[in-house]
Amino acid sequence: MAAQGGVLFQEKVSRLLSRENGKPVLKPNRPLVLKDSVANKKPKKGEASCITEMSLLMACWKQNNFVDSLCSNEVNTFYTCVHKAEAARKNKSEQSNVTGGRLTPKQATTLLKRFPNLRSEI
Amino acid sequence: MAASISGLLKPWTPRVLLVRWSRYNPYYLEPEVRKEAYSRPESELSAEEKEERELKKLRPIKAATNSTTSSVFNDPVLSKFINMMMEHGQKTLAREIMMQTLENIKRKQVEKYHKATEGQKDGIECNPYVIFHQALENCKPVVALASIQKGGKYYQVPIPLTGHRRRFLAMKWMITECRENKHRRTHMYEKLSQELLAAFEKEGNVIKKKHELHKMAEANRAYAHYRWW
Repeated sequence: MAAQGGVLFQEKVSRLLSRENGKPVLKPNRPLVLKDSVANKKPKKGEASCITEMSLLMACWKQNNFVDSLCSNEVNTFYTCVHKAEAARKNKSEQSNVTGGRLTPKQATTLLKRFPNLRSEI
Repeated sequence: MAASISGLLKPWTPRVLLVRWSRYNPYYLEPEVRKEAYSRPESELSAEEKEERELKKLRPIKAATNSTTSSVFNDPVLSKFINMMMEHGQKTLAREIMMQTLENIKRKQVEKYHKATEGQKDGIECNPYVIFHQALENCKPVVALASIQKGGKYYQVPIPLTGHRRRFLAMKWMITECRENKHRRTHMYEKLSQELLAAFEKEGNVIKKKHELHKMAEANRAYAHYRWW
């Protein structure tokens, strides 16, 4: 199925390159061959976590002149928030990897490198 | 290893056996050294812990390092500190310095204890391990600054730290402080014991460094939104 589709596709490409019907549609300066890697997508920038807890903590510090013992409550809430944010981030990345059926660019590149495009008949 | 051509043809055994490698396949699991983890009865374990035990029966386990023991005196924080103090692989020297430090702390505290009045005697902590752990706790920073680029310029942004990073920073500051800011004739254990006791009382240069970092973070709190994680 892929071979038949491949033959039709090759014929279409040769039609686009030929000079028989006027000017050729394609004038490639490099050979028309697929690369063994996929372009890397920039990961979406999230937003900063635990900003409120941090600002509360810093307000407490400012009030108490940076003495730690008086701000222990804020410090503990900050730590719990950071811990939760870390766990949530790990869960989210795991989940989006397993479900979705798509490969990340890195995974796709690894796979393509293992089964590369054959450029010559060996 | 001598690599002669005739040597390659003979059956070969590695010259160094029974050594923990530094790079293991991620398939290997960490060893559980503490005795208490094995003496717990079946009923006390939760479902996850039972699963972990089942997994440990099947997976290969990394070899334990030479410095870990299953005795009650094994302290991972202390071992990490000794490793960080070690230079040129001289573990015996680093360990000696640490033991002398702890002894020195004990001596000073016991002297203070005997000189103190009856009312003050309860407040004086004599256990050097407790002092060491509390001093490190007091030195750990809560937030640190990271250099983040935004719009062509670099800003110092306050970021939360993981527990490991905080512990590392506290130990690093302690060791660099004791190496650099001392008279050339004071021994390392002497300076370390002074610094640890000062950190226990929340004074001293390391605590000052931590407070300065906190002040810088507080001054830059407007840039906190430049973080994206």
